[in-house]
Amino acid sequence: MHGRRTLGDHLVLAAVVLLAAIWVAPIAWIVGLSFKPNDELMRSTGHLLSPPFTLKNYADILGASSVFAWMLNSAVVAVGQTVLTLAVASAAGYGFARTSFPGKPVLFALTLAAFAVPEQAIIVPLHTLFAEADLHNTYAALILPRLAFPFGVLLMTQYFKAIPAEIEEAALLDNASRFKVFWRIALPLSLPAQATLGIYTFLHAWNDYFWPLVSATKPEMYTLTVGLASMQTNFAQTEGIGFLMAQAVFAGLPVLVLYLFFQRHIVTAVAGGAAK
Amino acid sequence: MGGLVLRNVSKRFGPVGVIDDLSLEVGEGEFAVFLGPSGCGKSTLLRMVAGLETLSAGEIHLGRRRIDALAPGERGVAMVFQHYALYPHMTVRQNMGFGLRNVGMPATEVEAKIAQAAALLEIGDLLDRRPAQLSGGQRQRVAIGRAIVKQPEAFLFDEPLSNLDAALRARTRVELARLHQQVPSTMVFVTHDQMEAMTLATRIVVMNAGRIEQVGTPIEVYRRPATRFVAGFIGTPAMNFLPVAAVEAEGARATAVLADGMRVPTAIPATRLPAGPLTLGVRAEHVVAGQGSPAVVEVVEHLGERTLIHARLQDGSALVYAEPGDSALRAGDAATLQADGSAVHLFDGAGRAYHAGLNP
Repeated sequence: MHGRRTLGDHLVLAAVVLLAAIWVAPIAWIVGLSFKPNDELMRSTGHLLSPPFTLKNYADILGASSVFAWMLNSAVVAVGQTVLTLAVASAAGYGFARTSFPGKPVLFALTLAAFAVPEQAIIVPLHTLFAEADLHNTYAALILPRLAFPFGVLLMTQYFKAIPAEIEEAALLDNASRFKVFWRIALPLSLPAQATLGIYTFLHAWNDYFWPLVSATKPEMYTLTVGLASMQTNFAQTEGIGFLMAQAVFAGLPVLVLYLFFQRHIVTAVAGGAAK
Repeated sequence: MGGLVLRNVSKRFGPVGVIDDLSLEVGEGEFAVFLGPSGCGKSTLLRMVAGLETLSAGEIHLGRRRIDALAPGERGVAMVFQHYALYPHMTVRQNMGFGLRNVGMPATEVEAKIAQAAALLEIGDLLDRRPAQLSGGQRQRVAIGRAIVKQPEAFLFDEPLSNLDAALRARTRVELARLHQQVPSTMVFVTHDQMEAMTLATRIVVMNAGRIEQVGTPIEVYRRPATRFVAGFIGTPAMNFLPVAAVEAEGARATAVLADGMRVPTAIPATRLPAGPLTLGVRAEHVVAGQGSPAVVEVVEHLGERTLIHARLQDGSALVYAEPGDSALRAGDAATLQADGSAVHLFDGAGRAYHAGLNP
């Protein structure tokens, strides 16, 4: 920093603080409610900062025998989806960016066309498909449908196209096979894009609710989102608000930790994948 | 080690012909420079030798092997690219060793070769840096080092100096010439910069529109350009071209009479000249001031060691001439100019050149 802050700087700062407060308020509200007894919240949610406080809501979550199993399921699904999506999107992206084969433009157009298909439109055929393959209530069912991720393919295609062809040609002259060029040159150089795509995929997989709800019908195969939702009693919105909020905080914690570790990459990812 | 032979090589991109039935031999240990304007096909030709472009027709041989069907890595060539093409995520050492490790060379041997090349190029203290931490000149040295460690039969350079600033370019040019003395491999160098071609080449291959215009030593190409294109492309300032109004035979020699009436008694045999329109070509240093046709000075360029004077003859033709050292002439001054007949060239309508003495 250099020079004195002008009035304009102060106004910008005030605006930023205001916006941040607007963003943080609901989260602070959730965290606050999660430490309040449910019976008090039934009467009023207005006394957020005054006692009594309780850890009972969190104890109830941890007391549910399945919650760590669900968390493990979520972790397996999220990590599996992330790793496999990166593999598929990188391979497909490299193919689209660097090789030529008959029908490439059509195939690429079809891949992009998948952007336009809403999830809800294909959920029934998808369910039927996995039912006939007898795959529901498996990790495969929770992971596989999400690997067809056109945005990932597009992102990687564009990124690989931006790597100077000369670098790969130099590697070809250095006796590297096409695969080695991909593995040792293109892939390491695409790390910023991999980070962007990986974070997107992980967050999406962790927060995913619709498909796991449809596919995982056995409680031991629930992901955290589906499992926590299943713990909600009837009238939870009135009788169990504190518990509901504790669930939200609990489900969000791993994402928060991830965010703290990969903050820089996430900011880049959200800024449009304009990684250096 | 071996020479490079291109036989009836053609390259088409769809309906567009880039290289048309080109044949060429580059001798073992020769420093051949492909010189030509942008888009003449010289880089494409080099990439075909490297295996980065396929041939539409023809054969390429290096040493005793036919290489045009081999993978780039198997051809025994190393290439230095215009934009260096270093692997950004690897250190200099890893960059230089990548190709060697790919052929399974033992680590100790790889290290020895890297050390040897690094010493030759004076980049020993850069080995653990990444390309992003190097200057342009240093990157270029690393790129050359990466080529040297492979001990290729032929080095291919694709405009490797064009990204360097003028001073560094001049210095690297000299270093490349020195390198060729120390590493006597066949070298093929692509450039559009005639200065690079003149200083580096043992032979220059002048290309235009996918064809070879002339192959010759730098002095041959400069003194006896085969075509009007070569004459105009080589040399700074470009050769002056003046339309010939009439040709008179004086003895066996032709005297060209220019449009403004200037008579230029040449050393070119009159009997060899074809019918039809001719153009006289004369370099700036072969225009003599103080005699001949009247002209008006338009622009004076003071270059220090010589002065270039752009003048206009009475018929409107432009003529550039050079005076050694400084000149007192200024724009608007009058001058009289005469082409030195012993050093002029004549070109026919097809661009073919006619010189004094032996003619094609």
